[in-house]
Amino acid sequence: MPHLSWHDCRVDIFVVTVGLGDKIAEEWEPLRKQRFILAVSALSLIATVAFSDANAQDKTIKIGALFPMSGPGAYFGAQDKQGVELALEQVNKEGVNGYKFTIQYEDSACAPLPASQAAKRLLDQYKPDVIIGEECSDATLAIMPIIAQAKVPLLNAGSSSIKITEPGNPYTFRILPDEVMQGVDLATQAYNKLNARTAVLLYENTNSGIGNAKVFKDTFEKLGGKIIADIGFGRDVNDFTAIATRVAGAGKADVIPTYTLEGQGLKITQALAQAGVTKGGGGSAIQLGTIWLPFGFEQKAGKAAEGYVRIVQFDPTDTRPVVKNFISAFKAKFNADPTHLNAHAYDQIMLIADAVKRGAKDAQSMRDTLAATKDFQGVTGSVEFNKHNQNIKMDTIHYMRTEPDLSWTALKWN
Amino acid sequence: MSDAVAVGPAYRSSRRRLAFLFAALVIAVLPLLLTSGYWRTNLTLCAINVLLAIGLDFILGYAGQLNLGQSAFYGLGAYVSTLLITKFGVHFWAAFAAGVAFAGLAGMILSLFAVRLRGHYLAIASLGFAVIVHQILLNWISLTQGPLGIYGIPPPPAIAIPGLPPIEFSNQVALFYLVSAFALLAYLLLDQLVRSPIGEALTAVREDEISAQSLGINANAWKVFAFGVGAAVGGAAGCFYATFVGTLVPDAFFITESFTILAMVIVGGMGTLIGPVFGAILLTLLPELLRDIGDLRLVVYGLALTLVVLFMPGGLVQGWELLRRKFAGARVAGGR
Repeated sequence: MPHLSWHDCRVDIFVVTVGLGDKIAEEWEPLRKQRFILAVSALSLIATVAFSDANAQDKTIKIGALFPMSGPGAYFGAQDKQGVELALEQVNKEGVNGYKFTIQYEDSACAPLPASQAAKRLLDQYKPDVIIGEECSDATLAIMPIIAQAKVPLLNAGSSSIKITEPGNPYTFRILPDEVMQGVDLATQAYNKLNARTAVLLYENTNSGIGNAKVFKDTFEKLGGKIIADIGFGRDVNDFTAIATRVAGAGKADVIPTYTLEGQGLKITQALAQAGVTKGGGGSAIQLGTIWLPFGFEQKAGKAAEGYVRIVQFDPTDTRPVVKNFISAFKAKFNADPTHLNAHAYDQIMLIADAVKRGAKDAQSMRDTLAATKDFQGVTGSVEFNKHNQNIKMDTIHYMRTEPDLSWTALKWN
Repeated sequence: MSDAVAVGPAYRSSRRRLAFLFAALVIAVLPLLLTSGYWRTNLTLCAINVLLAIGLDFILGYAGQLNLGQSAFYGLGAYVSTLLITKFGVHFWAAFAAGVAFAGLAGMILSLFAVRLRGHYLAIASLGFAVIVHQILLNWISLTQGPLGIYGIPPPPAIAIPGLPPIEFSNQVALFYLVSAFALLAYLLLDQLVRSPIGEALTAVREDEISAQSLGINANAWKVFAFGVGAAVGGAAGCFYATFVGTLVPDAFFITESFTILAMVIVGGMGTLIGPVFGAILLTLLPELLRDIGDLRLVVYGLALTLVVLFMPGGLVQGWELLRRKFAGARVAGGR
């Protein structure tokens, strides 16, 4: 059998396709049939490889990510991306049910208009099977109808406004405890576990700030507690001395539920301690907080944070293997401790991978499988959705108390 | 035909008519060429921003009033029309007219107070006005919902034309045609104004207020007029914004929005109506076109703006003129 090179095959294809003169054809006659068979086999092989490549490409779950990557909320996007990258690295090692995961990020800028534009671009150009994001409630509320209209599931882990799941829509899922779950639980625990009977409300004048404070107020008053001051402020307030003085003059407050982001939160905690209101400043009031403040807040606030009781989205002292593995993998990859934003982004991808494991393969089956989620074990807690697609698992609400040495004690109230 | 005849008023007028027809044709064809929902919404956003930019240009470019309060008029138009629709059940077009009138009136009132101010002082006063309006929108929660936002704002009601299917504005193409038709109408109106004796009076006030007054031009009255018209056009953009996005939060009308609109006017070419149209289109589409480069998107965007201002202080219009002259020069040289 003569040795055939790829070059010969190419010549053969040329002969078959273009055709040569009879003389040349005669010279090639002895080998023609054999070469033809080989050429067809080679082409079939190429076609098979191409076809299987196409199949492999088909076995891809496309994830769209709408994160704020510019503007004041850019720190959300940067940390979200870290959690996503770690999770993708892990799930793509071996794939899930033969599926690999790809992602496309769009800057949704924490505001309705850019978020809407980014969502439309994702849907039109990337055609994702599932979308994760946004962080800010205003932006999430704006993109929800657009994404639902395209019948693509949206998995949210950062926006606490109750409107996102009440009434919500069939395509929007939230793994974060909503403001009612947090507010009702916080007020109940304050009343029952801390024996609080009086409270001062401090909150930023935003969708989430007002909503969270209202839920606490309603629950606390229903239980028999009294709100002795109700203080809202803009995000542009930088000096909280006047507000702390007002709190000090309002009467004896047992607890001070505070709803702000970290920057203002630090200033409020220090101002309240300086005014001698909270435990950190020699007073008796306990500052209460929800999921707004990241890990490391106490180190920045210093002694003023002593006694602060707050809900955290991610408990790094959690001893479940899934949490320990996440922390060690995150440290190995980024040489830093993970924050709640890293953890939530990681959980979003892992929940999507879990849905794929349970049979999700496109947008509609992803929606249906996500809706049927029961007891998914994430690093921030477990997940089970109610009929409004809100995670109802209370183990996502972790209570922590700040000790004098600024360490955390997990209160294990849930 | 001699050159003298070619550049005469009749020729210029027919050329302008042709340009408007061409613009209408482009508007008609664009959504048919750009079939994705994403690009169609970008087109509508371009039309809204064109309204904002030509409104500001009328105040800044023609009357010479450094107005940094355009975001306030934009927000007032949006909130007044939306609140009338959602809280009081007013018909969209009545609410639209009220939003436009309210924004125009607010512009005139601001101008009445700031009529003696010029340059930086007027800029600060108008910026202060924008801050006040933003704070009102943010803190008057019982009326505006403040930071809680207004969601689910409906599109304009369908228009029924006898013998034809109704035009539904939930359709992106129909909404684009509606907003761009208004933008074209506003452009025509402002174009007529700036080419009339009113435009000459405004330009005279802009160039030298004292000389203008010595010629019997009431500078204060014309400044108030310019503010009223420019603010009303900004208010119209606000009405369309609310119905286009379907969501209203006060931060959409924060003072930074004023600077974005100002950039559209400057990049396009202040004092020409056509310049800000292209400035608005460029500044709307550029950040979207640059999305593919990821994190560097806004860096490149900022750099592009800086380069335009550095090398073409007259904006895109100046760039176009330079190119035209260069090629015209080349043609003449080639002819020799």
